[in-house]
Amino acid sequence: MMITDPAAQQTAVTTSRISLSGVHKRFGDLEVLKGVDVDVESGEVVVLIGASGSGKSTLLRIMCDLERADSGEVWVGGVPLHDRKRAPEIFGHVGMVFQQFNLFPHKTALGNVMLALLKVRKLGRAEAEERGRAALKRVGLDTKADSYPAQLSGGQQQRVAIARALAMDPAIMFFDEPTSALDPELVGEVTGVMRSLAEEGMTMVVVTHEMRFAKDTADRVIFMDGGVVLEQGPPERVFGSPAEARTQQFLHRVLDT
Amino acid sequence: MDWSVIWSNHDLYLSGLWSTVLMSLAAIATATLLGLVVAAIRTSRIPVLSQVARAYLEVFRGTPLLIQMLFIYFGAAYLSGFGITVFGAALLALTLYQGAYIAEIFRAGIEAVPRGQWEAARVLGLPRTQTFVGVILPQTRAIVLPPLVGQYLSLIKDTSIAVVIGYVELVRQGQAVIDRVGSPATSYVAVAVLYFVICYPLSLLVRHMERKAVTA
Repeated sequence: MMITDPAAQQTAVTTSRISLSGVHKRFGDLEVLKGVDVDVESGEVVVLIGASGSGKSTLLRIMCDLERADSGEVWVGGVPLHDRKRAPEIFGHVGMVFQQFNLFPHKTALGNVMLALLKVRKLGRAEAEERGRAALKRVGLDTKADSYPAQLSGGQQQRVAIARALAMDPAIMFFDEPTSALDPELVGEVTGVMRSLAEEGMTMVVVTHEMRFAKDTADRVIFMDGGVVLEQGPPERVFGSPAEARTQQFLHRVLDT
Repeated sequence: MDWSVIWSNHDLYLSGLWSTVLMSLAAIATATLLGLVVAAIRTSRIPVLSQVARAYLEVFRGTPLLIQMLFIYFGAAYLSGFGITVFGAALLALTLYQGAYIAEIFRAGIEAVPRGQWEAARVLGLPRTQTFVGVILPQTRAIVLPPLVGQYLSLIKDTSIAVVIGYVELVRQGQAVIDRVGSPATSYVAVAVLYFVICYPLSLLVRHMERKAVTA
């Protein structure tokens, strides 16, 4: 099916590549990122791991312009986010999934998914609803279209949040600890949806503590420590034979628990 | 007390009641709109504009409505050389005074909405005003409505201050009856009862909403 999307034609978001170089970020006295270089290829699934405070969430938030780098270059989908005038071009063309879901509580699942289709893509109601329902179907929640977030489980809410992002046909999907707020038995349904996205070739950057997801889905694992990228590589290598002592310590700690 | 004077002058009371209701409705509409705009500016943290909004709040909450109304009708009209109608001056003063309180009620509601709601809307590409109107405001309802309706009660009673610049409303008509036939006690009780008739349903509504907010 051809999807006509006037907004997508105007935008400068032409690729799914990400390229960060020399990124620094401080919050007051705290230097969170101390010169980070990261490249992500189109279709790649990259998982950021590291202890809390290592800067991985801040890095992810910089990639979708929810935080501004103090210095360095940030290219996302062909848009220079370090150029304040051009940075907003990526909004509506990348998807972000938050730890706290951030669904709109006064709207149904379908209402959440349709809002930006109506107001940003300016689709008609019928087309927006069709695309909204298709997005809910992709996460296995087409039967919950009329439920409000409060009536859904945490896992279902997060899947609606993923559908809301997917409905916009994003060039890249970002996930910021998408399963950290979930009861353990609900984690699987969310990582399952993420896994199928990865298989479909979606470009994904994921911050997570789910080491199993990192091991079996990531193309590349990036270990961050103290505001820098300490080590990166395919999951077999990083998990199997980490080069750095800090990586070994971290993996030892998280894999034991 | 002679209650028959009330009935024989009921047309005066009713016309006063109508003037009070008219002023109340007009001021509720304009003060709510002003409060919303000021709250939006205050929470946006736009440098100069939010300081202007802050100064407005301090001035109009820190001075009596009576003085504001007298200043607008007599002072401002004199300074500018333009005339202003009694209704216009009373409406302007009530709007500015009540708008300051209403702005703070809205601000509290807006700030109670988690930042993640703004962020989710932003990444989806929703413009700021669209986010404010379509995402943030609807979520403030439970927090904003009870104190907002409470503020409306105080606004309705404050319309009586417009008497000082000659607005002929409920209190003024009550005085007109006294001027005509005496019996001030009876007439003022009648006026008070009519205010109560307007306000009591609203305060029942506030209580109902507060109970709902607690159980929700």
